[in-house]
Amino acid sequence: MEGAWILMAETKNPIISCDHVSKTFYSLAGDHLVVDDLSFNVYENEFVVLFGPGQCGKSTILNLIAGLELPTKGKIIVDGEPVVGPSPNRGMVYQTTNLFMWETVMQNVEFGPSVRHVPRKKRREIAQKYIDLVGLTGFEKHYPVKLSGGMQQRVGIARAYANEPKIICMDEPFGHLDAQTRYLMEADVDRITHAEKRTVLFVTNNVEEAIYLADRIILLHNCPTSVHKEYKVDFPRPRDYTAPDFLALREKITDEMDKTL
Amino acid sequence: MKNLSKRLGTLALSLLGIGAVIIIWALAVRYTRIGLLLPSPWEVVKRFAYVCSHTIGKKYTVFGHLLISLKRVLIGFAAASVAGIILGISMGRFKMIEAIFRPIFEIVRPIPSVAWIPLAIVWFGIGENAKFYIIFMAGFVNITVNTFAGAKQVDENVLGAAYMLGASKLQAFFRVVIPSCVPYIFAGMQVGLSTCWMAVLAAEMVSSTAGIGWTITSGQENGDMVQIFVGIIAIAVVGLLMAVLMRWLEKVLCQWRERGS
Repeated sequence: MEGAWILMAETKNPIISCDHVSKTFYSLAGDHLVVDDLSFNVYENEFVVLFGPGQCGKSTILNLIAGLELPTKGKIIVDGEPVVGPSPNRGMVYQTTNLFMWETVMQNVEFGPSVRHVPRKKRREIAQKYIDLVGLTGFEKHYPVKLSGGMQQRVGIARAYANEPKIICMDEPFGHLDAQTRYLMEADVDRITHAEKRTVLFVTNNVEEAIYLADRIILLHNCPTSVHKEYKVDFPRPRDYTAPDFLALREKITDEMDKTL
Repeated sequence: MKNLSKRLGTLALSLLGIGAVIIIWALAVRYTRIGLLLPSPWEVVKRFAYVCSHTIGKKYTVFGHLLISLKRVLIGFAAASVAGIILGISMGRFKMIEAIFRPIFEIVRPIPSVAWIPLAIVWFGIGENAKFYIIFMAGFVNITVNTFAGAKQVDENVLGAAYMLGASKLQAFFRVVIPSCVPYIFAGMQVGLSTCWMAVLAAEMVSSTAGIGWTITSGQENGDMVQIFVGIIAIAVVGLLMAVLMRWLEKVLCQWRERGS
């Protein structure tokens, strides 16, 4: 079944293509190889989860795709263009939210369109659409400091969407949230990404979260990071955390995960 | 409601404290030999009311003198703010500017503003410019130090988020760097304004023919103890009003930091 998926995938053009990417951090204390010969593709409107245990350089991969870091070897192509620096066609959602604390929810969500000089009326409309989508209607004039962790992360998601990017990268966005909020947010991300189809690259170290959200899970090797194995997930959505299929896959991935350490 | 009664209680205690000092002062003047060195509170109040409509010296009422001092402070403080904010931010954001200006600044920084008085008189004469210079130096140091600290703590990840959303360097500067420095700039301006207010008095006490500082020295020269007290109280009241005004302004400009409802 996995073989069939790869055959089918190869006939499409990838939106994200990582081609033998390596990243070494140089320092006086010694060189540190973090990403080692990493290759994978992500296709249009696919929800791909990069899954791996602990500190294995997952965030570095996202920084490379974002263009905040450049690879030491290999190349990354997003939507036909090689990545050479930050660009608004790649939206980011961060674990620490990185919201603009001095701007209201509306101003945060409008940030992308406004720096790209989208006319005021139009960008209000866009921002309102995504504020409504993430369920923050009525909080437009609030400052982030007054919102809960989950709500702040919703602002982060709306802010990334409002720029209408080609791909959205989410870097352990629910890592700081409590378990209850986390389940709610996962359900919401599932709903949002299917209401507004986008190519999503989602990083997590939580196996349940990976299976709940992913079309495809890429299991990564621990430091240095490379692709260990891929799993296609085609259970109907919204998924049930306790369904036998779900639990069986969870078991399979957890067993395999031990080999990556 | 409970909050209000609590606040009224605090206010009552504060007034009680001030009242006690005034009563002890009055009793001490009336019944001990301190009366030889100190005018009674009643005399000071009477004189204060008198100089509201009559001149101290030849030309100005107490308000006239205050206005002259305030004008000097505002000009010096405004110049100090502009220069301090520009230098602080440039040193905080650009390594090269920090390397050039930081050592010079660190040498100038510990010099108390009154130490500039003799030099200022030699350089600028005894006119207004010497006073502007002294006031400027008093405010400039505090404002620069705080702005610099603010510019250093700008979160690089938030700045990265702005670039990812498509902001240019200039846009990121005005929408991320400056607003995240504002609380620090304000802390510097608060301290700066009060040190400027102290410096104008010092400058006027050395050489001037008008201003609230001058009323104190002229009181001393004429052996007019009551006039000295009138000057001191006027200074205290204006200093207090300035602090209240700055705190209010900070609350308005930095409301995004307030957690409360």
